[in-house]
Amino acid sequence: MRSPSFLLLLTKEFRELCASRSFWIMLLIVGALVGHSFITAVGLYAEMSGAGGGPAALSQGLTPLDGVLVPTWGAYDLAATLLFPFVAIRLIAVERETGGLKLLLQLPGSLGVKIAAKAVVLVGAWLVAWLPGLLAIVLWRSYGGHAYAAETWNLMLGHLVRGLLSAGLGIAAGALAESAASAAIVTLGITVGSWALDFVAAGRGGWLQQLASYTPTAALRSFEQGLLRLNVLIVMVAISCAGFALATIWLRSGRTVQSRVLQVLVLLVIAAAVVGGGARANASWDLSENRRNSFGPADEAVLKRIDQPLKITVFLSPEDPRLTDFEQNVLRKLRRSLRRVEVDYAATSSTGLFETDRYGEIWYELGGQKATERSTIEEVVLDQIYKLANLDSPARSSDDGFSGYPLAAQPKHATLLFYICWPVFVILFWRATTKWVDGTF
Amino acid sequence: MLWNCTRNLIHSCLDELLTVAGLTKTFAGKRVLSGVNFTVRSGQVCGLIGPNGAGKTTLFECLAGLLPADHASVKHGDEQLNSRRRKEVLFYMPDAIVPWAEQRVDWVLNFFRKAYAQSHDKVRALSTPLRLDEIRKSQLGTLSKGERKRLMLGLGLLTPHPLLLLDEPFDGLDLRQTRDVMTLLKSEAAGGRALLLSIHQLVDAGRVCDRLVLLNHGETVAEGTIDELRARAGLADGGIEEIFLALT
Repeated sequence: MRSPSFLLLLTKEFRELCASRSFWIMLLIVGALVGHSFITAVGLYAEMSGAGGGPAALSQGLTPLDGVLVPTWGAYDLAATLLFPFVAIRLIAVERETGGLKLLLQLPGSLGVKIAAKAVVLVGAWLVAWLPGLLAIVLWRSYGGHAYAAETWNLMLGHLVRGLLSAGLGIAAGALAESAASAAIVTLGITVGSWALDFVAAGRGGWLQQLASYTPTAALRSFEQGLLRLNVLIVMVAISCAGFALATIWLRSGRTVQSRVLQVLVLLVIAAAVVGGGARANASWDLSENRRNSFGPADEAVLKRIDQPLKITVFLSPEDPRLTDFEQNVLRKLRRSLRRVEVDYAATSSTGLFETDRYGEIWYELGGQKATERSTIEEVVLDQIYKLANLDSPARSSDDGFSGYPLAAQPKHATLLFYICWPVFVILFWRATTKWVDGTF
Repeated sequence: MLWNCTRNLIHSCLDELLTVAGLTKTFAGKRVLSGVNFTVRSGQVCGLIGPNGAGKTTLFECLAGLLPADHASVKHGDEQLNSRRRKEVLFYMPDAIVPWAEQRVDWVLNFFRKAYAQSHDKVRALSTPLRLDEIRKSQLGTLSKGERKRLMLGLGLLTPHPLLLLDEPFDGLDLRQTRDVMTLLKSEAAGGRALLLSIHQLVDAGRVCDRLVLLNHGETVAEGTIDELRARAGLADGGIEEIFLALT
């Protein structure tokens, strides 16, 4: 018996998506969220650019990525966390609850292909939800705003894999749980768990921090910084695919629970191996226009000559802003530039109060030589490392070539477009697809 | 008498399409099916009858591969059927389902037609006896119980499988519809297909089925034509209800 064409399955899933209220409600909410974020971000960016008549902030600090694009598209992180999983859950749970799954399971062709059709339609739905975000970019450009292509595409790639992850988790939860409500609780539990992990692991170091760097929020953060990390990409795609595969295994109700549990365990082992292997892929690309994730070319050239592992012991507590500075300005770049960097977070408290005299110190150890430093300033730290490696500090240029993009523009037409035109467009399209589904169109 | 003997002879010569032996299923320590054995032959309407809770639906779901059986031998001719082959040999239409509630009837019919590579003629041939044209433009979720049952029967009959399992095919149908559906099912069987119907209305079973399998407390109590069952029950001229009561 021939399997139905993939196009037929896609059509079915697309019609089911169009018939789903959760999808249209998500579109309505996303428009408002993106609109609010965009209008606020453009207003703040204008203020920082001296719109009020006062002096502008240092122009080097005014990057459209941080000032406009990331806050605007940040609405999609919220949507991927709190809205999109329910669209994915519905696509599975309703068929389970109404008996459609019993017919679907008997259709010719493998269940994997049928789940793949659901995955493709969900990715399509996520891309449709991007329309307000793309509209925001078009508006920003129409105001004369700048958008660096590489970092903008990278940001969108981050949100694409974020959406894929939500779809994978939603489908898996929908398959495992008996009802849509239970699946929603499972998904929210995973989300809250990942937030807790993010919070607990901050500044702790070790495997916990390593693990926390792959939570959806943390993974998206690297894309928002203009950094494309291969390991993050592999891990997120692998977890998403594992979610779809788990649903495929679990929905085969004709197999015993023991056999399905065994297959899920095998899947988890394979997924863990792929995630573990992927996490070791250190390749990364700094796609930010101001190369914020890299040291200057002169320093990069010197650091490349250091073969030995660098061990850093930090006596700063997780809540100390100096640790945040050190992470963002030094450690993140060092991890990309040096072959091996080991960081030990030695502070024993979370606030830094009542610590020992060593609190605030940062110890560096390279090739058997040790040095202590308190500064978290990039140049000071690098000079210390060069001294330990017996290398001369390079001559650094004071101008990094990035002059910033101040723009005192008002978010013209944004209110009309996001708060009136978008909802009207969604409602009209909703009505049109409803008529298409019920055949009166 | 001569007619009955001839019919029995014809039946015994028909192909054994599906042979089920020793089918056992336990739910949470409770044995729901206990060594069920029966045979379904090509060109026959076979009725699975039994009281509520006898295990009819569970038996169908096990046969269709939607539930795992603890133990079962399911053969198609001489071939032991694995789950993949079962999907090619038999199709099970469950009772009381409302799949794809927002979709239109004609789209769902078309989806099944395309999925099983059937012709438009086949759909047209089913539309008249099942009166599907009346509900073609309706959404599945808005159909009445009887309308939904007619559509589900249509979807089942649209599949090309040699064996069709229908759970309570007359449930929700009025008298006229029941008679029309019985005629349709008999003509389908006359075309060589086998139908296994789960029926709790014994009178309906007696009117449509060539053979009956009696299921009680998860066990096959008896199997055969009405005459064979009557003989087994030791009744000279009892109806199906008397036979059922005598054997269970």
